Amino acid sequence: MIKAENVVKTYNSQEVLKGISLEIYDGEFVVILGASGSGKSTLLSILSGLEKADGGHIECNGVCLDALKDDQLTAFRKEQIGFIFQQYYLLSHLNVEDNVKLGANLANNKDYRQIIEAVGLKDKLKSKPSALSGGEQQRVCIARALAKNPKILFLDEPTGALDEVTGREVLDYISKLQKERGFTVVMVTHNVNIADMAEKVVKMNSGKIVEIYQNSARKSAYEIGW
Amino acid sequence: MVVGIKDGIKLIGISIVCFCAVFVCTFMLNYYLDVLPLEETLTDSAMTALYNAQLATAKFTSVITGGVLAAIALIMLFFYIKLYIDSHSQQLGIVKAFGYSRGKIAGSFWVFGLSVFIGCALGFCIGWAFMRSIYDDLTIEGMGEIAINFHWELLALLVFIPTTVFTALACLYAYCALRRPVLQLLKGKSERISARKEKERKERPFIWQMCIKTLSSKKSLVFFVAFSCFCFSAMVQMGLSMENLTSATMGYMILLIGLILAIVTMFMAITTLINGNKKNISVMKAFGYSIKECSLSILGGYAPFALLGFGLGSVYQYGLLKIMINVVFANVEIVPEYKFDVPVFFLTLALFAICYLALMLVYSFKINKISVKEVMIEN
Ligand SMILES: Nc1ncnc2c1ncn2[C@@H]1O[C@H](COP(=O)(O)OP(=O)(O)O)[C@@H](O)[C@H]1O
Ligand SMILES: [Mg+2]
Repeated sequence: MIKAENVVKTYNSQEVLKGISLEIYDGEFVVILGASGSGKSTLLSILSGLEKADGGHIECNGVCLDALKDDQLTAFRKEQIGFIFQQYYLLSHLNVEDNVKLGANLANNKDYRQIIEAVGLKDKLKSKPSALSGGEQQRVCIARALAKNPKILFLDEPTGALDEVTGREVLDYISKLQKERGFTVVMVTHNVNIADMAEKVVKMNSGKIVEIYQNSARKSAYEIGW
Repeated sequence: MVVGIKDGIKLIGISIVCFCAVFVCTFMLNYYLDVLPLEETLTDSAMTALYNAQLATAKFTSVITGGVLAAIALIMLFFYIKLYIDSHSQQLGIVKAFGYSRGKIAGSFWVFGLSVFIGCALGFCIGWAFMRSIYDDLTIEGMGEIAINFHWELLALLVFIPTTVFTALACLYAYCALRRPVLQLLKGKSERISARKEKERKERPFIWQMCIKTLSSKKSLVFFVAFSCFCFSAMVQMGLSMENLTSATMGYMILLIGLILAIVTMFMAITTLINGNKKNISVMKAFGYSIKECSLSILGGYAPFALLGFGLGSVYQYGLLKIMINVVFANVEIVPEYKFDVPVFFLTLALFAICYLALMLVYSFKINKISVKEVMIEN
């Protein structure tokens, strides 16, 4: 469970997060929704221990992140967190299998091939990222993140660089794998339609939460609008 | 896993500098160690004087070349690693985000030691290949042929210790450089967003402004440009005027090493500059600036430092030769005359101008080849 209390973040005297309080339960699928510049990415990086808040408290699966040093935060992320970003950040000199191994190594996971298969890239094992399409690259990122068996998966606009067809495909893989494995998903997006896939939606506007609501029924990636 | 083997052995500049240093030190120190125990066989004072002179030459040359080149190689290594971290910062950032510890990531920078090993090992081997002719060149009259012995401690000192030390320093440097927060790494460029506004400056011609901007964004390259010209000037002049001081072979060797060092560092500096400014160049080209204006705006700012390096090199070689003569020929009665060699200076200057023009021509072609579309597609 993630528990944020009154989180504040300031960049160069610009208050980007103005007191965010939020609870996310284990196994939940949460979407953080908001316009560009509303502070979503900043919140995500603070919840996931990439960056430290200037004020407030954050507790993540029993670990209090407030007082951790950089090296301790790294160890925390190693144990608990997986990431998927809009820019894929794949290692260009490594092939698909080795990129996934990068995640698998951290958890001593020997079954990483299974996850590559699960995202439909079995016959691309030896391809370099530059030879893959955008959707395929993002699927490698899904495999890489899940190969380290994260307890919480953070996604920042994972479909932001994809067209509708591949975007839906990627989201479908994510929700399918989440149902299978039961990890927590925290996804940032500015696409209102994607919020229909979530259990819980957190709406943000200029650094504040304006609304939190629960969806009665979750839609699949092929049922939502785009 | 993070840094590829390929990245590690790509640093040809470092390999070449290490090669030169180890090459010279191999035969000079080997000679030194072989001649040292022969002191008992000296018979007259003329022989003793020559013996001392040869020993001093060997020691002096190896300490100077070894020390200077090791320092250069180290600066190059740090420069390359910084460049690597800057240009791969997103990949390093994601690895750090996933939870690889700083130590673990820094550990993978050991591959940068490979280029040091390659250079040192080659230098050692080639140094041995030349051993006989060097020994013949440095004979001591009346002593006969000096036997060549293999010294294990030299292999350790010139190949294994440098490799180990450089590898350790590469990892240590990376460890410190990776202190940058993950988000900063992910966002790319290490450019600090300075709170301070840019000072109002007098209106200057645009190309002139570009020169200054490029110069201040890549300050470390000033050193390499100046060093390259320094090397060129000092070692070519020294090589040419060495002929009547010691032997012609030594002169040519110094000349050759100087040229190699100068070309390698200059090549490295300009390639880095052009690659780092591809976007600017392509935009300028798209707007209709000529190739000449483009290359001037990127390279022009470094020209004064090139001339400065050349001048310093001339003064340095004069001073060094003066000292060397005083040390080496301290006990010899007929000290060879040494004055600043004016014809050699102008010859070197002419050579320098020719090299400069050739370089500009080559890089004009290179700049000409940069296509706007290609650069824009990259991101
Ligand atoms: N490292 C930073 N330095 C300065 N300002 C930043 C930094 N990161 C984000 N900001 C500012 O914080 C605000 C929110 O950014 P962000 O969290 O990326 O929004 P979103 O992801 O919702 O588009 C923006 O106005 C942005 O300019
Ligand atoms: Mg964002």
